[in-house]
Amino acid sequence: MKRVIILISILAVTLLSSLVISFVAEITVPRSLRDLSKYYIANTIIDTASPESVAAIVWDYRGLDTVYETLVLYLAIVGGLAIFTIKGGFPRGEPMGLTELSRNATKIIVLLIATVSAAIAFHGHLTPGGGFPGGSALAVATMLIIPVYSVNILLEKGITSTKLVAIRGFALTGLGLVALLPVVKGLEIVTNQKFYPGFLNGVVISGSISLYNLLEFLAVASGFTAVALYLSIPEELYKGEVRD
Amino acid sequence: MIEAVLFWIGAFLFILGGVFDLLAAIGMIRFPNFYVRLHAATIGAIYGAVLPLIGISLMALGIPELPGRYAVAGASFITAIILLVVAPVGSHVLAYAAHKSKSVPWSPVVDALEKDEEK
Repeated sequence: MKRVIILISILAVTLLSSLVISFVAEITVPRSLRDLSKYYIANTIIDTASPESVAAIVWDYRGLDTVYETLVLYLAIVGGLAIFTIKGGFPRGEPMGLTELSRNATKIIVLLIATVSAAIAFHGHLTPGGGFPGGSALAVATMLIIPVYSVNILLEKGITSTKLVAIRGFALTGLGLVALLPVVKGLEIVTNQKFYPGFLNGVVISGSISLYNLLEFLAVASGFTAVALYLSIPEELYKGEVRD
Repeated sequence: MIEAVLFWIGAFLFILGGVFDLLAAIGMIRFPNFYVRLHAATIGAIYGAVLPLIGISLMALGIPELPGRYAVAGASFITAIILLVVAPVGSHVLAYAAHKSKSVPWSPVVDALEKDEEK
């Protein structure tokens, strides 16, 4: 009886509050734009050759900020990996995994996730998305493989933490080079349109924005996958290491 | 004509999905143990989510004045297909894990799984 009273009161509160919000509260929509928004809307495509003003702000107008942010995330993941490192390399074992049914469904889902993540990353200069969301989505695919197929399958296929950290280092070096290259010609650091071409054979590539997206995609995907690999090491191994 | 037919079929599927959701919710409360409740939850996920999504895609196709109706229809149809693949696997894995870890009481009338595993 008590449960029913609680449930009915929750239902009543929900309905009442939704009615109150829809009838009483005025949801105000701004009718005018600020000058800064007007500038971005009018000039993004001219300044950066990118129709997506969020990507343009993140990687062009505020590009230096994002490059440093990437550096902070790089250091955070390096710190995490340093804590979880164990002597004698990654432990290997027999792959066990889940049932046939879940494996087959995971194959389809992983393929879908990989496709969608690539689309998010490589269209980042045209549509909402970009390198970071795309890379995180690709890392989800490997995180799905670890419980369903076991981490040993990944290791057998050659996706080891050493290789992932190497890919991450390569991608971040590339990112730094893309940011630094304009300095050679006497331009500012993280310059886009004055140095990189906005169009390639008539296709919009938005100069350095698509390069940043591609490299950030690689860096984030490999970094998060490496973290997932290390988190799948059983606790007993670390305890044994402390005892030694 | 064809638009109206699509719209009403879509609306019917949409409302049918709501009915199945209600049934699933009643089942979640009334059913006696974990496995049967899982069955009710999966009904909510398949008939209560996949059917309305297909209904939405048909309804979107049935409204010619809706801007971007093909995008709405395609996105909801693809979401329905993905749910159709994912949701049964989710409940399968949940039931498998609960059975293997013996974390819920197991008192079957007929145990076909045990016979399968004996072979």
